[in-house]
Amino acid sequence: MSAANFPAGSAITTQSRKAVLSVDHISKTYPVPFLRLKKALKRKFKPPVEAVHDVSFEVSEGEIFGLIGPNGAGKTTLTKVMATLIQPTAGQVTVKGYDSVHDDVAVRRNVGLAGAEERSFYWRLTAEQNLLFFARLHGLSGDQATRRISDLLRMLQLEDSARKRFAELSTGNKQRLSVARAMLADPPVLLLDEPTRSLDPLAAARMRSTIKSLSRDESRRVTVFLTSHNLAEVEELCDRVAIISKGEIKALDAPRNLRATHSDNEKVSITFVVDDAEKVETALREAFVAHPFTLGRGDVSDSWTLSFSRKTNDQTLHTVLHVLHSTTCVVKGVESERATLLEVLEHYEHPDAEPEEDALSA
Amino acid sequence: MNPLLFFRRIWAFVVRDWRLELSYRMQLFLRVLSILILVTTFFFVSKIFVGFADPRFTQWRDPLAAWLTGMAMLNYFMTGFSSLANAIRQEQVQGTLESVLMTPISVPTVIVASSAWDFVQATFFSSLYLVFGWLFFNVHYQGSYLLALAFLLLTTVVLSCLGILSASFAMVFKRGDPFGVFLGTGSALFSGVFFPTQLIRDYAGNKVANISLVLPPTYGLDGIRRVLIEGQGFAQVRQPLISLFVFLAVLLPLSLWVFNRAVKRAKREGSLIQY
Repeated sequence: MSAANFPAGSAITTQSRKAVLSVDHISKTYPVPFLRLKKALKRKFKPPVEAVHDVSFEVSEGEIFGLIGPNGAGKTTLTKVMATLIQPTAGQVTVKGYDSVHDDVAVRRNVGLAGAEERSFYWRLTAEQNLLFFARLHGLSGDQATRRISDLLRMLQLEDSARKRFAELSTGNKQRLSVARAMLADPPVLLLDEPTRSLDPLAAARMRSTIKSLSRDESRRVTVFLTSHNLAEVEELCDRVAIISKGEIKALDAPRNLRATHSDNEKVSITFVVDDAEKVETALREAFVAHPFTLGRGDVSDSWTLSFSRKTNDQTLHTVLHVLHSTTCVVKGVESERATLLEVLEHYEHPDAEPEEDALSA
Repeated sequence: MNPLLFFRRIWAFVVRDWRLELSYRMQLFLRVLSILILVTTFFFVSKIFVGFADPRFTQWRDPLAAWLTGMAMLNYFMTGFSSLANAIRQEQVQGTLESVLMTPISVPTVIVASSAWDFVQATFFSSLYLVFGWLFFNVHYQGSYLLALAFLLLTTVVLSCLGILSASFAMVFKRGDPFGVFLGTGSALFSGVFFPTQLIRDYAGNKVANISLVLPPTYGLDGIRRVLIEGQGFAQVRQPLISLFVFLAVLLPLSLWVFNRAVKRAKREGSLIQY
């Protein structure tokens, strides 16, 4: 998979923006510790694990870039390589032009990482004391640190928890504190590993709104690299999404393009009102001898819902609407649903698996 | 490296560790109490030897003074070669090492900052041995305190180099650090903390006695006792001072190189937070 396959901004209108984060042919194989010694002593050892293989992409300034994939696909390894915590076996990661191996300090100055690991804080210190410690490591003066911490606590609704020990915080607040820490030095690039994992729905929505506003804020244009198992969230937030499986990027595009290119099938539901539903059903059966559909009562009284699948751009929808019109139906609504990101993900994870039968088929 | 940033970061570590220490107040009180009990015990044991001191061992005419300087320095030296490895191991166990290394902090800063609080603490507890001896048991020290301090700092820096090597082991092997074992027990036995090193030569022969010659604490302790107990000046303590500088010249670049390699290896293996 090469960078040429997935150029920055390929699916969004960000091509004029410069790439802030560049991943160029990154591979990471975890070596077997003390391999030569084990061979010399004829000890058994597990083969080296290739966690990431030849991954390339670029992320533009202000872009929200999502990485999805099953457990063990290589998401965390890739994130840690970008964060300079793991060295790649091959390839290069640059952040704002700084190389993650040779200019690692400069890279860390430009990157904030909010991991999913709870243990990364000092449990006997308060939330504020924890942030103060890390702010000082980032080089902030006392006044700067206090101001920044106060802003972040307010932004992430953590003011009430500021003086609580980390151990006493709820899981959701721990998660938010992790995001606050990542933002302490106001870095241009944020690496967020499941940022809403433990949040309640309202807090998760607020977090998503914060992430969006960071990237859309013209004065800062923070670039966000996000990994998540919440596909709806990825779809809502991300300008582009990469699907990683077994250490390789299988697809990369805007979420709607990914869904569109995965399958040209869509499910259509039409809600209508009619006096004689039997007449409509008969007319539909005559029009669609070989095409399965379901007809049932709608959510609103006197309404009916007709569901069927069709190929994008075929004549089915036109014919159905014509039948409904000719049988004096009053159409109240038309909804169509293309493949979900989950289906796209499943497709790349199990490429040989048969597609699921249409559950709505009559 | 910006010195302001360097000290700001060290200060951050000291404040963090001070706050963590404050969250365990009882431990602090018990440690002070245990030092007082130990000094009192040494006082009574020293009374057994009144009038029996071998005239060859001028530093040991007052065994209590020799033991208290030995204990104070041993405490400091142990901090030198174990604090960094302990700090790294603790950060690994807590899971905070990655978060610290995610900040734009350089490896030398991590080395100095991680053990800064331990040295603050060691200074306090080591001085307690000397202060309790002077305050409650009439132990008097003489000579230049500045020169004694120079010995103390130099020996500690040399031992910190061994501490950095020890931390490198912690980084790669996680446990089973050989430096802690050999230097901890070795220094107590061979460096003259509790008895004169000449006795080893008398009873165990030259080969065994030569072990003390390769241990930096031997020179540090000898120098400090010469200054504080015998009242010797700079000209008379040049030899142990030069020996310590030779150790420093060899160990400092070696230890920094090894630690850098260890961090890179852990990053290659992805084992920074494993323990």
